[in-house]
Formats: sequence, C-alpha cells, structure tokens
Amino acid sequence: MNFLTIFARNLKQGPQTEAFPLGPAFTPERLRGRIEFNAATCEGCRICERVCPANAIRFAKTPDGMTFDCWHNTCVFCGNCEFYCPTDAIHQTNDWDLSHVNADKFDMVEHGLIPNQTCVECGATALNTAPMVKNAKPPLSTEEYAEVRARCPKCRAKYLKNRKVPA
Amino acid sequence: MSNQIAILLAVLLFPGGVFALAFGLAMKGVDRRVAARLQSRVGPPLLQPFFDIIKLGFKRTMVPAAANETVFLYTPLVGVVAMLVAAALVPITSVYAPDAAIGNLLVLLYLLMIPGIVLMIAGSASGSPYGAIGFSREMALMIAYEGPLVLIAAAVAIRTGMGMGGWATFSLNDIVAYQQAHGSFLFDPVMWPAVAAFCFFYPANVGIVPFDIPEAETEVLEGPLLEYSGPVLALFKIMSALKKVVVLGLGIALFFPAAPAGIVGGFLVWLVKMAVMMLVGITAVRLSMGRMRIDQAFVFFLKWPLLLAVASLAVVVVV
Amino acid sequence: MGLIPNFKNIATRSPWIYRINAGSCNGCDVEMATTALIPRYDIERLGCQYCGSPKHADIVLISGPLTVRVKDAVLRMYEEIPDPKVTVAVGVCPISGGIFRESYAVLAPIDQYIPIDVNVPGCPPRPQAIIAGVAKAIAIWRERL
Repeated sequence: MNFLTIFARNLKQGPQTEAFPLGPAFTPERLRGRIEFNAATCEGCRICERVCPANAIRFAKTPDGMTFDCWHNTCVFCGNCEFYCPTDAIHQTNDWDLSHVNADKFDMVEHGLIPNQTCVECGATALNTAPMVKNAKPPLSTEEYAEVRARCPKCRAKYLKNRKVPA
Repeated sequence: MSNQIAILLAVLLFPGGVFALAFGLAMKGVDRRVAARLQSRVGPPLLQPFFDIIKLGFKRTMVPAAANETVFLYTPLVGVVAMLVAAALVPITSVYAPDAAIGNLLVLLYLLMIPGIVLMIAGSASGSPYGAIGFSREMALMIAYEGPLVLIAAAVAIRTGMGMGGWATFSLNDIVAYQQAHGSFLFDPVMWPAVAAFCFFYPANVGIVPFDIPEAETEVLEGPLLEYSGPVLALFKIMSALKKVVVLGLGIALFFPAAPAGIVGGFLVWLVKMAVMMLVGITAVRLSMGRMRIDQAFVFFLKWPLLLAVASLAVVVVV
Repeated sequence: MGLIPNFKNIATRSPWIYRINAGSCNGCDVEMATTALIPRYDIERLGCQYCGSPKHADIVLISGPLTVRVKDAVLRMYEEIPDPKVTVAVGVCPISGGIFRESYAVLAPIDQYIPIDVNVPGCPPRPQAIIAGVAKAIAIWRERL
C-alpha cells in the first residue's frame, strides 16, 4: 500500500514541473554551456585549439590578424579550453538554449579577431595578443603592461629583459 | 417506425454516437490529467484526446506493402460502429432505457467482443510481425477474460430472472428495474464474487497497463496499431474511448444502477459512478502496476476471475 | 474558411514524438526520456507523447552520428513517418558529428541524408533545450499542416 501514500503525497504537494517553455527555466550558476571568447585577453597560444576533443575551435591567419572560431554545433561543453587557457580568454557561460532552425546551422559560431598591430619599437607587423607576463616579478603595472602589449614578440622579450627591477 | 427512429437516435446521438464519443474522450483526458497529478506532473490539457483526434485527421494514411488494403483500412470502422451500437444498449438509470428490441445483455456481450476481434484482424492484416504478435496476445487475453465475463453476465441474469419468478432474464431493462426495486447487486453478498470478477475483468477489457499486453508499446511497439497512421489510427482511438464508456456503463448497469428518479439527478449519479470506476479501477491501477507477461495474465485470469465467476454462478443458482 | 486554420491550431497542440537512435551513445536518449518521464520537465504538458511506432509520429528526434551500419535502417524508418513531419537533431552528433567527426564509421552531418529542420546542439543538451527545440519544431510543423 506504499503507492497509495505516494499518490496522496503527490496530490498534496502539487506538480513539481518547471514552468519552462511558458516561463523561465532554472539554470545553475556554473552550468557548462555556450563558449564565450574574449579576444582582448587572448595571448594567441592556441592551446584551446589543441586540447579541444571535438575540433570545435579553429584559429586562422587572415590579413587582419588571427581569427578565432568556435562552432557550437560541434562543441561538447567539456570545458578543456577554459581549463587550459592561461589568460582566461575563454569562458563557458551558463547559456544552454542553443536550439536553432537548420538554416542557421553555420551561424552558430563564436567569432573573435586578434588584430594586427605595428610594433612601436621595431615597426614590424605582429598580433596584438595579450602578453604572457603572468610570472613576471614583480607584476607589471598598468602602464608597463600597455607598453609590452604594443610591441612585437621579440621586442616584448627585450623589453622584459631590460626592465629595471626595483631592488 | 418511431421505434426505429428512436433506436437510430440512440445510436447516433445520446447514449451512443456523439455523446459517448465526447464522453469517452473527455474521460481519457481526465484520466491522463489525474494520472499526471498523481505522478506530480502538470499533465496535458483536459481536451488533449480531442486534439489528438483532430491532429490525426491531418496526417497521411500509409498502407504497408505487405498489408491487405481493404481489410486493413475498413476493420476499425467495424469496431467503431459496433461500439456505437453497444453504447446505445447500455441503460442509464432514470435517464435512458434501451429499446426492448435491442436492450439485451447477450447482444451486448457479442458487441463487446468485436473491438478485440477488430484488433486481431487489424494486426494480422497489417502484415507486420509485431502485429502478428499483438494478434496472438490479444487472442490469448480474450480467451482468458471473455469466459469470466459470460459467467458474470449469466450470474446476473439468473439472479434477476429467479428474483422475478422465472429462470433467466437477459433484458438489460429488467436487470436495472429489478435492482431498482430490490436493491443493487453491489450490496447483495450473493453477488460479491461476481462483482470482484468484474473488477478484474474491466481493466483487461479497456486495455490498461497490467493487461495492455497486446498493445505493449515497449515490447511489441503497440502491436496491432503499429502500422496504422492518420485518420484510421484515430478510428482506433475513438473505438477504445467508446469501449471504455460501454464497459464502465455495463458495470454500472449490472451491479449498481441505483439512482434517484429524474433525468438530472440520475445523470449526475451516473457521472459520479463512472468517475469513481475510472479513477479507482483504471487510473490508479494503471499507475501503480507493471505490465504482466502474457502467460502470467492468462493464468491469472483463468485462476482468479474465472474461479470467482464460477463461484458466483454456483452461489446464485443454489441460493 | 475560418474553421480549417482553427483546426490546424488545435492540431498543433498534439505533437507526437518518435525518437530514432542513429548510433547514439545513449546520453541524448536519456535526456530525451527525461523530458517525458521526470515530473520536472513533463513534456506531456505540451500535448507531446512519445509513441512506439514511427507511423504515429509527427516530430522525429534523431540522436547519434548516423553510423554506417545503421544508416539504411534510419532512412527506412524516416520514410515510414507519415507527412507532415518535422525532424529535430538532438545533440551535436547528428548536426556535425561532434567528437566522432571524420571517423570512418560515421556519416556524420545527418542533414546530407535526411532533411533536418531544427538543431539542438549539446553533448548532451539539457532537457530544457530539447523542449525548446521541440517548441521550435512545433512552430515549423504548424506551417506544414
């Protein structure tokens, strides 16, 4: 007779159904959903492209700079890219509603562009990536960071090497 | 002549036809809604079965290459017509009494057998192996549950007939009138085995979970209905809705027809009885049990309901 | 005149769902079953009903990357669903191949064999996402009725 108590309980409690198609859905804060790319903080190491199990991420060199493309239709939300990204340029949002009509199939892309820039020191054309300065000691100040960022990789190394370290 | 028109109206409009169809579908809607509530879901809208029927009207009907097209397409029609006539045979106390020419328990028993036979023919005509499995299961189940039903009917008829001073009465009007005068069989200890047997029988006849073996969708992919699509499938849905009304109505007429005089009161009481029978005997049973295997169901029916029915017949004849 | 469109609106409230497993890992199938079986997502509220026979279906949910072995069966099954029908690809596998893309055993983007109407990417998608996809499919289905 256990089922009778279950019936009674269910009748008393009322439906537990979410309102979803007719109302908002419950979404956990840390749900692993759509990928979001922030070109400003990408340092161009392309580790995300390497670790992506589904080959959803692709970098390509174009005349304007380096493009980043993540096709949501093959991304499996594993979170490897976010885990390995050294500068937190890739984030998984908790946006889960990616359903779309088939005509939009190839528009489901997260697109980003790391633009080219001219090095302020040597004048060479290089990508405006975020510099890899995580381990610099002492940490760079905002002005120093901007100066490093405005240079090409070679000049960045030179800049960091010649940087006066206060005693 | 007026007699024939009255019968025609009964078949097409009030207890049969439009009313029975609407009532059966509405019952199905309530059943699904209540079932959802018991499972703490919201459930479909109350009119969902009507939506389903209308939707099926828009779909294309496909006839499989292996099927016999004529039999395949027209058998469900036979089932629906049989159920419409059957619905006109079932009396509703102080609301409707079937014409004496048709209101016979034996005719009703024959008509009640037709949906099962229709399912069997449909399943075998579809040329699908699943349909054939459904056919064999339906047949086994019918053999198992028709026996008790006939014995129950005989017990009721003999009880009524002996009470009225004769031998056996198969007139449904007489059965109802006798119970109106002498108290319902539900409260008559002599009839209790028959009532119990009927309580086992009607879930099997309307085809709900412990006994929906012929149409088990997880095992034989809805068996006989597998190959049907579109309006013809809608006919099957209509048939099962009508059958539900007929079987529940038969149960009320046989065992508990007591109702106040007057059309409104009688009808309301009838509605309440229908609702109780459906919610307790169909919805709750359907949700709380798993499906039996066909051999289990066969043995079950040959054991308990048959035993109860034989016992009721014996008790009725002896007492 | 006004009656037929009205009936069409009513008919769209009863989409019956059939799911085809085209070599899926069962992840998406579990999520699909979840939409119907778990009280929290109750897809029956929209009038949907999972049916056992392809001939009863209106909306087809396809999961899995269409493996080579299962291709013929899937195409035959798809043919058996009476018109008007709408196809929903559930999970990234039927849409692009997902992690199985470019495998020799997989004929991945399924829309080169079967016309797909709605895509629900995810590995697996959330039940809510599947319900959202079904809602989009119902909108398409209304135009086809």
